[in-house]
Amino acid sequence: MARHLLGRLGHLVLVLWVVTTLTFVMFRLMPGDPTLNFLSPSFSQETRAALLKGFGLDRSLGEQYLIYLRNLLHGELGQSFLQGKSVVALLAEALPNTIILTLVSLCAAYAFGIVAGAFLAFRRGGVVEAVAIPSALATRAAPEFWLGMLLLAGLAFQTGLFPTGGALSPGAEAGSFGAMLISRDYWWHLILPALTLTLYLQGLPLLLMRATMLEVLNDEFIVMARMKGLSRWSVVMRHAARNALLPVATAFALGLGASVGGNVVVETVFAWPGIGRVLVQAVQSADYPLAQGAFLLIAFVLVVMNTVADLAYAALDPRVSVGAQR
Amino acid sequence: MKCLGLFAGLAALSLSAVHAQPAHAQPAGDAVRPLVILAQPQAASPQEFQSAEMTAEAWKQLGLKVSVRPLPGQQFSQIVWYERNRWDMTTWQMVGRPERSDPDELTYNLFVSANIANGYNLVGLNSPEYDRLAQAQREELDLTKRQALIREVQEYINTQQPYGFMVHPKNLVAFNQTVWDASSMKVQAGIGVRNFWTWINLKPLTAQKDVIVNSVSPPTNLSPFNIPGAQGSWATELVWDRLMRIGPDGLPQPWAAESVTRPTPTTVDVVLRQNMKWHDGQPVTIDDAVFSLEAPGYGDKSPMYRPFVSNIAKVETTGPWSLRITLKRPDAAFLVSSLAKLNLAPKHIWAPIFEDLKNKPETAESIMEKVPVGSGPFKFVSVKLTEQIVLEANPDHWAKPRVNRWIMRIQPNIEATLGALKSGEINFLTDYTGDPELLTRLVKSTPDIKLSDSLDIGFRFLAYNERRPPFNDVAFRRALSALIDRDAIAEDAYGGAAVPANSWISPALAFWAEPGIDKKVPGLGNVEAARKMLKDAGYVVINGELHYPAGVKETTPVYQ
Repeated sequence: MARHLLGRLGHLVLVLWVVTTLTFVMFRLMPGDPTLNFLSPSFSQETRAALLKGFGLDRSLGEQYLIYLRNLLHGELGQSFLQGKSVVALLAEALPNTIILTLVSLCAAYAFGIVAGAFLAFRRGGVVEAVAIPSALATRAAPEFWLGMLLLAGLAFQTGLFPTGGALSPGAEAGSFGAMLISRDYWWHLILPALTLTLYLQGLPLLLMRATMLEVLNDEFIVMARMKGLSRWSVVMRHAARNALLPVATAFALGLGASVGGNVVVETVFAWPGIGRVLVQAVQSADYPLAQGAFLLIAFVLVVMNTVADLAYAALDPRVSVGAQR
Repeated sequence: MKCLGLFAGLAALSLSAVHAQPAHAQPAGDAVRPLVILAQPQAASPQEFQSAEMTAEAWKQLGLKVSVRPLPGQQFSQIVWYERNRWDMTTWQMVGRPERSDPDELTYNLFVSANIANGYNLVGLNSPEYDRLAQAQREELDLTKRQALIREVQEYINTQQPYGFMVHPKNLVAFNQTVWDASSMKVQAGIGVRNFWTWINLKPLTAQKDVIVNSVSPPTNLSPFNIPGAQGSWATELVWDRLMRIGPDGLPQPWAAESVTRPTPTTVDVVLRQNMKWHDGQPVTIDDAVFSLEAPGYGDKSPMYRPFVSNIAKVETTGPWSLRITLKRPDAAFLVSSLAKLNLAPKHIWAPIFEDLKNKPETAESIMEKVPVGSGPFKFVSVKLTEQIVLEANPDHWAKPRVNRWIMRIQPNIEATLGALKSGEINFLTDYTGDPELLTRLVKSTPDIKLSDSLDIGFRFLAYNERRPPFNDVAFRRALSALIDRDAIAEDAYGGAAVPANSWISPALAFWAEPGIDKKVPGLGNVEAARKMLKDAGYVVINGELHYPAGVKETTPVYQ
């Protein structure tokens, strides 16, 4: 097991190194540079040279790469070109918002998906299934921005029930992040983006749970449980659902990793100040350090959650043996 | 009907016969290569893209093959700005800014030959006559004589057509008229109601005393030595005072200066207003004013502001509240381009920063104080560049605003912003990049919302790259410009939110704009006249394809 763990961690480090290098190369292969944001008649070649020097972009690519790697090892991601603040500080400001949005939506989506999936498997072939499955598939297939705009149009523009964007009302100051987290205003602003993401995410756990449940319900131990005279509820929830949860739990861990980077659309539609929005804005303005930082963070979370899912799977299901132990 | 069809058929035959054999009449050179117009993608700027498509279509009547090539933002700027030999034509725009109320900045920079290699003369117009006129207007301090020169230079450009000028856009701004007293707003020439004067004069009608504006994109770092884009500038000009400001009439007026006089063409005397205070409570001194005029010139630490002080030979104090600026050359626009542009920055905060930067690669532009300190009518409360900027009224300022706070919300989703205007989350729509019709519809259905459109100082155009034939031929450029249907572009592509242009000076600047210049484009709207221009210059159409004059080879590669 220890060898397996070490192997996984080694793999993790290798993947992260590849990702960091690709990130570095990718942003420098993009046409243009950040000085293009400042074009104005006063902008001369000397102005450009001075700005590039200020950004450290006058050095060779190799030199830039070495500085980048060295800084990374020290946990230093540089300074945003356009905002003049440290990238770590900017990401630290945005990450909690993304995590909260992701966790709330994922938990809601999985709670709903698991219960609804189990229920649909149990009630196979009815009218409920004929309506529920296409509905789940439709919301899963609908683009997030479209869902978001529909919710905005219905619940914000027309009725004014919810705010149209941001994390706090105009001019509101939370003071600290903790204070913001317990403010009603923050949660009121979270509802629409979280609902959009929940609707988008619920399809997978629902269908997965239903499919696994259908398999499990045919197993002998379920027949046995029924023969013992247990109640239907007890058979479905305590015996079948528990065994069907395994793949859903793995999907949850992977979903958590993917969602941190996958909220780009929802965060943009609702002006939610998370990592996805930081990434979009940084890429648009060729703010390399910030874009790199955001990208790395997203990749890091994804890779780590992948590893966690892998390890968790082995831990949760003893039948999944580890190759090294054979 | 049959007769008509036969007639049309014969006409077509005879026409193709004319096209097929004009070589007997006029020998021809190579066919002109397929030409490419670079543009921003349709999603980024639907109006601009549509204008380019409409124009490309019109030019096919001259026997040209023209296509529009959309490029993503960064790549687009990179090619147009830094690969000047590569492209044929490009769409581009100059945005309106208060300091462009004086025509010098654009007049001087757009077409002078000194700017061909890497300045703003993107098209590479090389004209000693233009250089002479541009320099003359810059040195002419007599307003009437300068006006005549500026109008002359517009007439000259009309004959040269280095750009296919398209339109001057209108600014669309909307606000909630139950919250704000519309009569307290100031209209600034070429800027509209969204301006500094409105923010300090705005009168609330209800208990809502926070003016909440919007921006689609986040501003960059806010500092007195950084130009943070159009939206960021709305905030910085409220926080940092300047010696002068562009007034609602478009002319410079003393602001933090009590008076500004020009005893000779190369000297400017400034008397500073007394009893001003920085937001941290320290007094504003004459040393601060001298520092603010000198600091952008320290080394290369302030690249964006440096050009505005490059003409200053020296600044010296002449009394406890007065200073004298000596210029290297006479400069008619100095008050607008420098004194109304440079921010007053506190020396006690920024002198140590500049000192510290001496041995570092960073510039002063990348430095942002935790709570930036200015002396203006508003002061910073909090800044989150991707979320919101909150300013509050400075009660100690001589021009104390009537509102409590000025809040800018950053919302990239323009439809959500319209919803926010309707629901009252914002009460002043200052940055609208969406379809004009959506906004008009909202205003019609919501009586509380009032629309204010005003002509902008900026303009949109097609640049013809003279480094690449046939654009070096004035007859060719004139023929192209004649067929740009500016009225249709303003009406259809811009939904009526623009007026036709044929100059870089907007009719909004009535004093400087040449009246009726948009109707003076040679051969305007006349296909036959445009064809004749080409024919007279030796161009020939063979099989519907435009050829160069006899003996001219096509040596320029097609844009890839």
